[in-house]
Amino acid sequence: MNDMRLTERVVTDTAKMTARGVQVHYGTNHALKDVDVDILDKTVTAFIGPSGCGKSTFLRCLNRMNDTVASARVTGKIEMDGQDIYDPRVDPVQLRAKVGMVFQKPNPFPKSIYDNVAYGPKIHGLARGKAELDEIVETSLKKAALWNEVKDRLSAPGTGLSGGQQQRLCIARAVATSPEVLLMDEPCSALDPIATAQVEELIDELRSQFSVVIVTHSMQQAARVSQRTAFFHLGYLVEYGETGKIFTNPDDPRTESYITGRIG
Amino acid sequence: MTDTTAAPAFRGASLTEPDARTRRRNAAERRFRLLGVGAVAIGLVALVILLGSILNNGLSAFRQTYITFPITLDAAVLDKQGNRNPEEMKKVTTIGYGKLMQQALLDALDEQGIDKGDLTDKEIMALLSKEAPADLRDAVLADPSVVGQTIPVNAFATSRLDGYLKGRVTMESATRDANISPEQLQLADRMEAAGLIEKRLNWGFLTRPDASELRPEAAGLGVAILGSAYMMIVVLVLSLPIGVAASIYLEELAPKNRWTDLIEINIANLAAVPSIVFGILALALFINTWGLPQSAPLVGGLVLTLMTLPTIIIATRASLKAVPPSIRDAALGVGASKMQAIFHHVLPLAMPGILTGTILGLARALGESAPLLLIGMVAFVRDFPGAPPQGLLDPASALPVQVYTWTQRADPAFVERASGAIIVLLVFLLTMNALAIILRRRFERRW
Amino acid sequence: MSLGLLLLLLLALTAIAFVAGRQRALASVRGDARDLHSLPGYYGQTVALFTAVPALLFTLLWLLVQPVLIERNVTAMILPEDIAVGSSRDLVMADVRRIAEGMAVLQARESLADGEIAALATQPDALKDRLSSVGVALAADIRPHIAEAALEYRAETAFGRSVMGAGALGLAVAGFLLSLWRLTPQFRARNVVERFTGVLLIAASSIAILTTAGIIFSLVFETYHFFELYPARDFFLNLTWSPKFGGGSELGLWPLLWGTMYVSFIALLVAVPIGLMSAIYLSEYASPAIRSVAKPAIEILAGIPSIVYGLFALMTVGPFLRDWFAQPLGLGDSSSSVMTAGIVMGIMLIPYVSSLSDDIINAVPQAMRDGSYALGATQSETIRQVVFPAALPGIVGAILMAGSRAIGETMIVVLGAGAAAKLDLNPFEAMTTVTVKIVSQLTGDTEFASPETLVAFALGLTLFVFTLGLNILALYIVRKYREQYE
Repeated sequence: MNDMRLTERVVTDTAKMTARGVQVHYGTNHALKDVDVDILDKTVTAFIGPSGCGKSTFLRCLNRMNDTVASARVTGKIEMDGQDIYDPRVDPVQLRAKVGMVFQKPNPFPKSIYDNVAYGPKIHGLARGKAELDEIVETSLKKAALWNEVKDRLSAPGTGLSGGQQQRLCIARAVATSPEVLLMDEPCSALDPIATAQVEELIDELRSQFSVVIVTHSMQQAARVSQRTAFFHLGYLVEYGETGKIFTNPDDPRTESYITGRIG
Repeated sequence: MTDTTAAPAFRGASLTEPDARTRRRNAAERRFRLLGVGAVAIGLVALVILLGSILNNGLSAFRQTYITFPITLDAAVLDKQGNRNPEEMKKVTTIGYGKLMQQALLDALDEQGIDKGDLTDKEIMALLSKEAPADLRDAVLADPSVVGQTIPVNAFATSRLDGYLKGRVTMESATRDANISPEQLQLADRMEAAGLIEKRLNWGFLTRPDASELRPEAAGLGVAILGSAYMMIVVLVLSLPIGVAASIYLEELAPKNRWTDLIEINIANLAAVPSIVFGILALALFINTWGLPQSAPLVGGLVLTLMTLPTIIIATRASLKAVPPSIRDAALGVGASKMQAIFHHVLPLAMPGILTGTILGLARALGESAPLLLIGMVAFVRDFPGAPPQGLLDPASALPVQVYTWTQRADPAFVERASGAIIVLLVFLLTMNALAIILRRRFERRW
Repeated sequence: MSLGLLLLLLLALTAIAFVAGRQRALASVRGDARDLHSLPGYYGQTVALFTAVPALLFTLLWLLVQPVLIERNVTAMILPEDIAVGSSRDLVMADVRRIAEGMAVLQARESLADGEIAALATQPDALKDRLSSVGVALAADIRPHIAEAALEYRAETAFGRSVMGAGALGLAVAGFLLSLWRLTPQFRARNVVERFTGVLLIAASSIAILTTAGIIFSLVFETYHFFELYPARDFFLNLTWSPKFGGGSELGLWPLLWGTMYVSFIALLVAVPIGLMSAIYLSEYASPAIRSVAKPAIEILAGIPSIVYGLFALMTVGPFLRDWFAQPLGLGDSSSSVMTAGIVMGIMLIPYVSSLSDDIINAVPQAMRDGSYALGATQSETIRQVVFPAALPGIVGAILMAGSRAIGETMIVVLGAGAAAKLDLNPFEAMTTVTVKIVSQLTGDTEFASPETLVAFALGLTLFVFTLGLNILALYIVRKYREQYE
């Protein structure tokens, strides 16, 4: 596994998703204003910014999770591999199979560990039989670095795991549908430092297979795991670029203030 | 390793062109949604049919067929002494009045030139309600000065004739009916053409007492409405203070111990005990042990109070809980005692919620019938109960129980009246619920 | 002294006590209320409480005890030969009470002296006539001995009443004087009043326990009586229900239990899918506009009294099912049937199931749904495979509660299910239930001590145990389920 990671550690320049002029309103609240971003393939992109800056909102636009919020209205254009994902012909169900998501708080289903991971493949019909499904579950759990901890108790309820394990279970669950993009909404905020480190390590490994977009509150985390960083403030995308550049030599004074801890 | 899990068919799928599986899943989604719409629709349709059938059957109970004709109240028959003393006039029974009415009716037919067919005088008289002579007697005794005059009477027609005008009785069914014949109905047709028979609004349905099996046309809800009102008074007077007191203790003062746990469990369970069991309790305890009279509104009120208390306690505790602790802290902070904080500050603020809950509890109690059946409320009661407090021990009926007793009678005219009684009951319930909603809207406070 | 007069006197004394207590407290500090421990009103209330409460408690106790004592004394006067064949001591005693009441009415109406009443009691026939003239009709002739017992009953009652009046007033005055005498500026009147209020609040909250105790006690007590007259074995094992008032009844529980279960089963079959699906639709799919109309409309169904449903079953649903299903299918021609009662009861339970399920479905955290949507599940897949299993324990609890309501429902089955007790599978046959038989056995004019009447208490106990069991189970499941998300 390790050597594979080394060989694949390359930053590609092909855009997986592109967002142009995205605006989001929640009722009368203008939550996101005119955002342009390119999410690169096989890259970890971090969204940072103070609370309520719109970073999570934008993340939820990328797999149309905002559709489940009745008052949300999204305008602008978001494309994935050149296809407009807000095209009325697009089925959000199919989109979300390609754009997986991991949430702030671990939210395993009240089912067994096995069923948690098998849920996605089952509904999308990815496995042709029980053996294949077993294999998907096993590889997904391995990718989420959870296999060794749970392989003896796959039928135990997922809710019985520790917080860090639950979050990795949720990552395994998302990975099991073989998404092309994985969205992570502050995946470590409910975890202790050790679990956080495990998940961060995991993110780095996952990058070899998909684009990862991570929303985080922690600038250190963004600096550790991401190759590109976007800074959001008050609903605007202030600055977007190489992580190294954003943290050492930002163009915008607001970014600098945030990085140095003057706003936030 | 990474490639083994990939499902090629899925990977390559275009976002805008759903594959077969997705189409199937979306169809399942639509079916599921349709099931939901169907379930809601069934619920709504059931409501509409329920209310529709009650209204359809019951609205006609508020209109009644009357026969109107002039009658000369012959002093020689009704008041032999001639001094208009009601006490002496009581000696003339309804039979005497009946004869007088029969003659007057026959005269009226002759005067209008209506062909009586082959009917005997008695058969013609049978078009009138058997209650009519008694009503006339009551009217004369109430105002003896009318004796000797000729006055118009509005007499109830018999329920079969009423049913004929309302479409319940047909010529065909009359041939098989011992109580009415087609010839009588033909005469009634002629009388209607001459304006002697007419359907009119019947306030008596709300004010008159119940009537016997053979006189459905005269049956009314007066005693039942009064009995229900008495019971509601008892329920209100008992359950509001007790319910509020119990809630204050449980919500504000009670220590967390076994005893209060026991009370809590009891309240939750009492709310789920079938109402008929409360009826058994009332029969065994209030009537057999304490010796309270049967059919009394007091007993009904007591049993309904026991049933309503859990509802009121639950509502009251919810509204006490909604008062923020800062209010209590503020009162305690200026040196008020705990009781003063509760009674001066918390309780007044919770009052709208408590009243709303109480009204809703009363509405439930008003519609409750099962326990009342067991304490003798089904008895046939014609006399209005007296004024409270003594009247609370007089026999009375109750609205929902009156519905039940009417359904148990053979004459189909009583089904119409039972539906009519339901309409009255529903109007009361609607009013109470509307009151509760208004109260909530107007006084509800958001913290 | 009449009870009303006594209460009025006590009320007046209490009012005086309040004013006097307040005045005395103020007087003791020369009108400067700041020197008192509590507000002056509390002193008034204290004195009023000491005046009223002991006297009222005494009166209440006396009212409960006196009839029992007098009853015992007078019953002892009834000789075995006073009891006619087929009658009982209790019935004779009831006659005694009626005669005594009649005498009181007679005395009030015609203003007779006590002596005249006593004289009348020696002429039983004359007494009977006079009594019936004031509306107290007696079936049997009055034996002289019974008339004597009635006189004794009257005398003891009157004596008891005067003792009660004197005792109560004495206590009131004593309490008044004692508490007034003890008043000092340092006296903690507010604490006394508040402690008393606290006791009152506890008493009010204990009524729930008293009610439960009363229910259990009366059911168990009368059921015990029933089993003395009719073997418990037969009640629980006999498969026939045919009460005969001449004796020789067969009172087997099973046909009634079967009817109850059958009707409840059909009711749940109607209510659970419809209630559950409408709850799901209204909470997960419906737009706010539709929800704001449809939800209250369905809840109206819950506010309609069960007698209305009963009439609906009798008038509309019963004939409809008979004419369109039972008769064409050759399944019977009864309009009251298990089906009729079951369907109507199902309609009644729809809002119950749907509002309970609504709460439970909403208790499933949104994060759970998000997790499923993010994997590309459709809404119905999310509901069926994530929300529903998560809510399942709660929903099972809700169904159990609805089942307990169905078992205990009375008016719908009384009007819709019929009265024939049988063990049959045909849902279009009239069958009967436990609640129907409780009503029919207790509303007739039967003697209270017969097994045909007392069986109703055994049925009531069965019903109580069943519903209580279901509810406790349901509450337990729901509580367990709630904990899962707290």
